[in-house]
Amino acid sequence: MKRNMYYLAIVMAVAAGLAFSAPVGAGETYQLGLSLAITGPTSDAGNPYSKGVEDYMRFANDTKILGDAKIDCPIRDDMYKTAVTKRNFEDFLDQGMIFFLSYATGANQALAPDFTEVQIPVVPASMDSSLMKASPYIFLPIASYSHQYVGVAEYVAANHKGEGAAKVAAFIHPSAFGRAPLADFKAAVAAGLNLELVEVVEHGKDLDNSALLQRLASKGVQYVLCHTVQSPVATLLNDAQRLGMTAKTFGEPGKITFMGAHYTGGNDLIALAGTAAEGFHWTTSYRVTSEKGPWTDWQLDMAKKYGRDDKTANSHNYASGMMAAQIAVEAIRRTREAGKKVTKETLYETLNQMNGDKAFTSLAAVGPVTYSVTDRMGVDNVQLYVVKDGVFRAVGEPFKPKYMK
Amino acid sequence: MTYFLQLVISGIVVGSIYALSALGFVLVYKSSRVLNIAHGQIIAGGAFIVYALTVFAGLPIYISFVASMVITFFLAMSVERIFLRRLIGEPIISVIMVTIGLMSILNGVIYLTPFGSLNYSFPEFLPTTPISLGGVSISWTQMVGVVITALLIGAFSWFFKRSTIGISMRAVSDDQFAAMSVGISVPRVFGLAWAMAGLSAAAAGTIIGNITGLNFETLGAFGITVFPVVILGGLDSIIGAVVAGIIMGLIQQFAAGYLDGNWGLNGTADVLPYIILLVILLFKPHGLFGTHEIERV
Repeated sequence: MKRNMYYLAIVMAVAAGLAFSAPVGAGETYQLGLSLAITGPTSDAGNPYSKGVEDYMRFANDTKILGDAKIDCPIRDDMYKTAVTKRNFEDFLDQGMIFFLSYATGANQALAPDFTEVQIPVVPASMDSSLMKASPYIFLPIASYSHQYVGVAEYVAANHKGEGAAKVAAFIHPSAFGRAPLADFKAAVAAGLNLELVEVVEHGKDLDNSALLQRLASKGVQYVLCHTVQSPVATLLNDAQRLGMTAKTFGEPGKITFMGAHYTGGNDLIALAGTAAEGFHWTTSYRVTSEKGPWTDWQLDMAKKYGRDDKTANSHNYASGMMAAQIAVEAIRRTREAGKKVTKETLYETLNQMNGDKAFTSLAAVGPVTYSVTDRMGVDNVQLYVVKDGVFRAVGEPFKPKYMK
Repeated sequence: MTYFLQLVISGIVVGSIYALSALGFVLVYKSSRVLNIAHGQIIAGGAFIVYALTVFAGLPIYISFVASMVITFFLAMSVERIFLRRLIGEPIISVIMVTIGLMSILNGVIYLTPFGSLNYSFPEFLPTTPISLGGVSISWTQMVGVVITALLIGAFSWFFKRSTIGISMRAVSDDQFAAMSVGISVPRVFGLAWAMAGLSAAAAGTIIGNITGLNFETLGAFGITVFPVVILGGLDSIIGAVVAGIIMGLIQQFAAGYLDGNWGLNGTADVLPYIILLVILLFKPHGLFGTHEIERV
C-alpha cells in the first residue's frame, strides 16, 4: 500500500511538473476559418488565394511555428455569395473559430455587424477602406484600394509632362468593389492633387471598346486609371493597341497610358493581354515573383513543396493568401508567447498591439504590418510596377500616398 | 466621319459575334421549342477544349478549333440523348428546368478543372497589326470572327432551306405529330439540333475567348448576354439572330460613343439594348423575324 502511494505521488509530481513547465496552449488546436470564392465570380483571384492560406497553414503546422499546438483552418467555397459566406461564418463559429479569414467586399460589409457582435478578428481579402469603419474587428492586410488607387494617381500628377492638370478617366468595376476608391480619389483631387477627372466609366461585358476609347481620347484623356479585375482591362488594352492609342512611354502625348490598382494587375493580366499589356502601370503592396528577392524565392519554394503549378506559384494572390495566414499565425504565436490563453479577445488585443517595435514584418509585402486601435490597415506602403518585356518591374521605391491619411 | 465609321464597324463586329452566340439558342428552339439555358456553359466548354487541345496536346490551333467543334457536336448530342430525350412531350417548363439543372452540372464539371477559376489566353496565332482603312481599324481576331460567323450562318441557313434533314427539322418544329406521321424521327432531329448548337457554341466560344481571354465567368455569362438578341430576332429565326445581333452591336457602340460620358449619362450601352428590345416587343411580340403562331381556342 505504501509503495502504491509512493508511485502515485511520483506520477502526480511528474504530471504537475509537466503542467507547469509546458507553454500555454501546448497540444491545443486553434480553430480558424476561411470562406471565399473558389468558384464563381472573382474565383480567378480566390483560387490561388485559398492555396496560399492552405499552404502557409500547412507550413506552420509542419514546422511547428506554434510548438505542439496546431492550427485547423477549414476552407469553404462561398461562390461569392454573401448568404453562403454568412452560413460558413456561422458554421465556423459553431466549431469554435477564434480568427476569421474572409474575402469579398460585399460579404464583409454585410457581415461587419456580426463580426462586431461576436468580437472576432477578421482579415479580409478585400482592401476596401470602408470595411475598417464598418467594424473595429476588420484588419486589412495591406494598403486599401483607395491608397493604391490614389498612389497611382499621385504618380501621374508628379510625372505628367504636359501643361495644366493631367486629364484622367476612371475605368471601374460596376460594383461596391469597383467604386470603393472613388470617394477618396475625388477627395484627393479636391485637396489639391493636380489631376482633372474627366469621366468615370463603369464597364460592362464589352467585346469592343472602340467607342469608349475614342470618346476618351476626344476629351483629351491621357491616363486611364482602372479599378476592376484583369479580364476587362485586358480587353481594353487590346482594343487600345489595335487603335494605336497605347502610350509607348509614360504620358506620351496624344496617347493613353493605362494604369490600375491591385486586382487589375498581376501575371494574369499579361497572360490575357499579351503584348498589349506593355507599359501598364500597377500598384499593390505585394512583391511579385518577376522581381526576385528572399520572399519570392521562398514563395516559389513553398509552391513547389506543396505541389502547386507555375500559375499559382507566381500569382500575387497566392502571396496575398499566404500573408493573411501569416498575420493570423503571428497573432496566435505572440499571444501564446505573452502567456495568454488564445481566444478571440486576446487575438484582438495582440493585433491592436502590432505596431512600433512590435510591427510584424512579412516579406510578402513592401512594408511592415502595423495595427492599432485607430489604424487597422496593415502595410501602409504601395509599390508601383510597370509591364516591361512581358513581366512586371518595380518603378522606384515603395511609398505612402501623400493624399491618403 | 471616321469616328462614326469606326462605331459602325465595331458594332457590326460585336453584332456578328452576338449573332453567332445566339445561333445555338435558335437552332435548339427552332427544332425542339426548348430554350437551352445552359448554352453559355457550352460556349465556354468549346473554348476550353480548343485551349486544351492547343496547349496541352500541342495541336495547331486551326485543327484544335475544328476538333473542338466536332467534340462539342457529339457532347451536345449526348446531353440531349441523356437528359432531354425522355422529356419529349412533357410540359415546356419541365424541359427548361432541366436545362437550368444542366447549367449547374456543367458549371460544377468546369469548376473541377483549372479552367473554372483561372485565366488563360490562346497562343497568338493571328497578326497583331490591325487591318486599317481610312482611319477605321479592325483586329484580325475580330475579322476572323466576322468571317467565321458569316460562314456558319450561311451554312446553317442553306442547311435549313435546302437539305432534306434541314427541312425535316423545320417540319418537326412546325408540328411534331405531323412530322412523325410522315416518317421523320423527332428524337433524331432533336439530337441533331443540339449537336449543331454545340458546334456553333464552340465557334462562338473560341472567338469570344480570343478577344476577352479565357475566363469562365465571362464566357459562361455570354449565354445570358445574348439573350436580348435571341428574343429580338425571334426565337426561331437564324436571319433574325443576325439582324438582331447587328442591331444590338450598333446600339451599344452608338450609345457608348455618343451618349455615355455626356449629359451625366453612363452605362447606356448596357441598358439601351434592353429598352429598345422592350419597345420592339411591344409592337412585334414574336421578335423581328419570329414565327407568329395563331392558337385557336
